[in-house]
Amino acid sequence: MTLLILAFFSVTLTLLGFFVPVPLFKRLVILGLSLGLLSLLVGWGRPFAFGPYQADPVSQAFTLLALLGALWTVGLVRTGRFEFYLLVLYAALGMHLLASTRHLVLMLVALEALSLPLYALATWRRGQGLEAALKYFLLGALAAAFFLYGAALHYGATGSFLAGTPGEGPLYALALGLLLVGLGFKVALAPFHFWTPDVYQGSPTPVVLFMATSVKAAAFAALLRVAAPGAPDALALLIAFSVVLGNLAALSQKEAKRLLAYSSIAHAGYMALALYTGNAQALGFYLLTYVLGTGLAFAVLSEISPDRVPLERLRGLFHRDPLLGLALFLSALSLLGLPPLAGFWGKYLVFAEAAKAGQWGLLVLALLTSAISAYYYLALGLSVFGRGEAEARPKPLARSVALLVALFLLLLGLFPGALLPALAAG
Amino acid sequence: MVIAAILLPILVGTLLLVGLPRGLGVLGAGLSFLLNLYLFLAHPGGVAHAVQAPLLPQAGIYWAFGLDGLSALFFLTVALTVFLGALVARVEGRFLGLALLMEGLLLGLFAARDLLVFYLFFEAALLPALLMLLFYGGEGRVRALYTFLLFTLAGSLPMLAAILAAKALGGSPSFLLEDLLAHPVKGGAALWVFLGFALAFAIKTPLFPLHAWLPPFHQENHPSGLADALGTLYKVGVFAFFRFAIPLAPEGFQEVQGLLLLLAALSALYGAWLAFAARDFKTLLAYAGLSHMGVAALGVFSGTEEGALGGLYLLAASGVYTGALFLLAGRLHERVGTLEIGPYRGLAQSAPGMAALALFLFLAMVGLPGLSGFPGELLTLLGAYKASPWLAALAFLSVVASVAYALTAFQKTFWEEGPRPVEDLRGAEWGFAALAVATLLVMGLFPGFFLKGLRPLAEAFFRTLGGGA
Repeated sequence: MTLLILAFFSVTLTLLGFFVPVPLFKRLVILGLSLGLLSLLVGWGRPFAFGPYQADPVSQAFTLLALLGALWTVGLVRTGRFEFYLLVLYAALGMHLLASTRHLVLMLVALEALSLPLYALATWRRGQGLEAALKYFLLGALAAAFFLYGAALHYGATGSFLAGTPGEGPLYALALGLLLVGLGFKVALAPFHFWTPDVYQGSPTPVVLFMATSVKAAAFAALLRVAAPGAPDALALLIAFSVVLGNLAALSQKEAKRLLAYSSIAHAGYMALALYTGNAQALGFYLLTYVLGTGLAFAVLSEISPDRVPLERLRGLFHRDPLLGLALFLSALSLLGLPPLAGFWGKYLVFAEAAKAGQWGLLVLALLTSAISAYYYLALGLSVFGRGEAEARPKPLARSVALLVALFLLLLGLFPGALLPALAAG
Repeated sequence: MVIAAILLPILVGTLLLVGLPRGLGVLGAGLSFLLNLYLFLAHPGGVAHAVQAPLLPQAGIYWAFGLDGLSALFFLTVALTVFLGALVARVEGRFLGLALLMEGLLLGLFAARDLLVFYLFFEAALLPALLMLLFYGGEGRVRALYTFLLFTLAGSLPMLAAILAAKALGGSPSFLLEDLLAHPVKGGAALWVFLGFALAFAIKTPLFPLHAWLPPFHQENHPSGLADALGTLYKVGVFAFFRFAIPLAPEGFQEVQGLLLLLAALSALYGAWLAFAARDFKTLLAYAGLSHMGVAALGVFSGTEEGALGGLYLLAASGVYTGALFLLAGRLHERVGTLEIGPYRGLAQSAPGMAALALFLFLAMVGLPGLSGFPGELLTLLGAYKASPWLAALAFLSVVASVAYALTAFQKTFWEEGPRPVEDLRGAEWGFAALAVATLLVMGLFPGFFLKGLRPLAEAFFRTLGGGA
């Protein structure tokens, strides 16, 4: 149902775009995304399969997160051209598809369907984002090639294109490795992360929000299907790389978007740790808190400037606009994982799974790097309280959404149990 | 009842943050004090008013709270100190709101019967402390904040690992305290689990050499002393050692007991030495607090019944008199405009009430018999003497030194010749003085009344360590 709704809106709106005024068009896109979200909630917990398309709990949960990010992005942007909204809608369609299939070829198609619109979105403001977009495109194409090779070898090793088919032997290991590399690029796991800081910094902030939240959700859904049944040991190496590299590199950043870019690499590492210890529920919850926290941070940043935001520019934000300042502060604390904010439970669940699985080495590494991350998250969160003149001209809607998300982060932190059963069942 | 006691200050605090008038906040603090007084007096022994509700039952986490002798005593001292602060500290309503929020979180921390809920409150209590420093602190507050937070977080993450390990390695089905106590960690892993806890709690205590966050934290906080009084209460390390770290991994504790005893004795001595050299009241009190925490920790680390009793009693009592001294320093700051010890002088002539109160508080601090510091110090040193006579003697030097620094500060401030007269205690400050002095006397003259609730806990503690029979 979700697929049909998103596809219907994508196709119809492509045609309508030339005739309908842009503000109305934006509303139609929002309507499409919301209907998609609604259809997910209506069909929650009821799996549905049609050929290689499988709307199972994983697909529903991760599409939900991806659509949330898409809606948020569309809501934040004000542009005079309808293509922006349309591209987001197309990407959302690709994300849903990616989250809803085990078939490796369909996965590749979905991966491209979500990546191509993003390449275009990254260049949205001409001149500024071109280099970033080029980097994104080239590396994305490379990742797709890795994925394709992986899929081919997977077929060679197991005789099936279905991810999760058990297999053995060096060919199978190589296939899994290549698939991992392909998806590793998308979720920005180190050492396949090097596009992230440049692309995040160079792209318009609302687009970065989209990349950081929705793309990660969809790609992790795919990663879950590829890697979950007997996660390859190579993943442990990627996790270690990601948490160490992401956190250490974020330490020296003076620019908010770059800082969040490096921290997102680290978060990808923590999420992969949940994946490695084989718990989709912990992964889903972590991703939820991450989408809310990172989304909130980028949403606030985009109210300040669509462009670069050095930390100095945030100074005084709290005095100019207490609400936005507080929202950024809370989002930084949640990303850091300080109770009673939701981010704590995300981290807790991941760490508890690692402890249960006896992965003490990775656990200690994750905890140590988490402690390191306190330094830069505090720099980000506390900068709003400094003395200075931050410019912010927030739209009323953006402020109320920021308030709502910040409250939700707090409530989810206080009553995680209220939401977790839904994730377990769904 | 426990829940009501925890929620009342949180509720009033939140309302104050969104704009409730300050007067109602004082009323809320008073109500909370009365409620906790009632809870303490009506506490029948054992774990009373236990509550349990699922938080994340899939992971074995429950909102579990209960009142035993230890938490009842700490409830009372926390609520009293906050009430004293609300009475006299000249701060705006929001500041008071943060203080009440902090009170609620501290009560939650002391009543938690689930290790993860304890961790939750332990960390959450950071937030009000952080906001107080951030909004109302001095010039160097951001730096102080960084130091404070980095130290704390560097400790609490290993603690999270230790919590997870304590459950996984001990084989307990949940994070509930009784389940965990029934499944203590054994063997080589016990040492690591204990060290994870110990790092976090040693930072909070704070034990030498992990105390570096303490002086800037106090120096940069608002001069009213309210934040400092709360900071004094927030040093929950000794409590947490007693309730969680040592009973959950006794074998690990015994392996490093000698080192911990040494560190505690060093803290006591080093703090006293620095307090003697301090030039302003906040530094003096901060280091005096460090010294006292060292003595209290020495008591608990001695692993004896008397030592644990004394350490915990000292912790509760020092929360009150150090907190009251911080508040008094805030009153002085308002009158003279500085916290430095030199410029005051001769205040006893124009402000005899204030001088008397200060003398009382200082004497309680140095452990004069009959006042609240004495029973704790005596019991602690008795216990420590059993564990290690040399270290007990070393720590005893800090008690002697405390007489020197406290009386020097008192003499320089209230005696000698003063440059100008100041206003004596007035209005609510008399209430503050009366309540503080009454508490010091009651705690000093009738320690048995307060120790009654602690004794069974100290006995159980002694048994976990293989003592008694």
